[in-house]
Amino acid sequence: MSAELQQVKNWILKRHPERQDIAGDLDLIENRLIDSLSFVEFVFLLEQTSGRTIDMESLEVDHLRTLNIIEARFFGVTVH
Amino acid sequence: MVAGSVPARAPGWANLGMDIVSAQRVRQMVADHGESFLLRMLTQQELADCRTDEGLNLLTVCGRIAAKEAAFKTLRVADRILPWLDIEVHRADGGWPLIELRGRAAQLAQDAGIEGITVSISHDVDYAVAVGAPVLSTGN
Repeated sequence: MSAELQQVKNWILKRHPERQDIAGDLDLIENRLIDSLSFVEFVFLLEQTSGRTIDMESLEVDHLRTLNIIEARFFGVTVH
Repeated sequence: MVAGSVPARAPGWANLGMDIVSAQRVRQMVADHGESFLLRMLTQQELADCRTDEGLNLLTVCGRIAAKEAAFKTLRVADRILPWLDIEVHRADGGWPLIELRGRAAQLAQDAGIEGITVSISHDVDYAVAVGAPVLSTGN
């Protein structure tokens, strides 16, 4: 796991102290780890950690559904 | 008949949307990122409408956010990100909120056979809630 993704994971865990860990393939939306209000902050976090602006016009929920997808899409790592 | 089994555009049916926003969460958001962060969700005009002579009224901000969420929920679109800035909440002369849809929000509404959305907002202590109802296009 990249340091950037670890930051993202830590951010989620901080908001869900009942969780010990988040599996890479866990659906963050369906499991309500990110809701609509925190989604805005989450995108901001991804912009900060990836160092690039995220185009909200083209962003889809599926782009942020799991940590594995986020790592591949925003931090340039392919997870097998 | 079970309401949930009725197609979104069935005659006589309108899907409501509802949302609740915690002022504590928005307060924390502003503390972490500053007031300008709210411009990711509110237009400049909306943010200006949330100001009083004492500064930013956080419950009014929460009401605007809840109204947008409630309006978006009436569109019944899955896996789409709320186009925050394409749903604008105006204050009518009478004090009630009016929703203006633009861009992607207007397109999603058109696709759903909705020509407008009406909302109502309420807040108390540390929460704001809003309910939205679509105005169906003629023929729906």
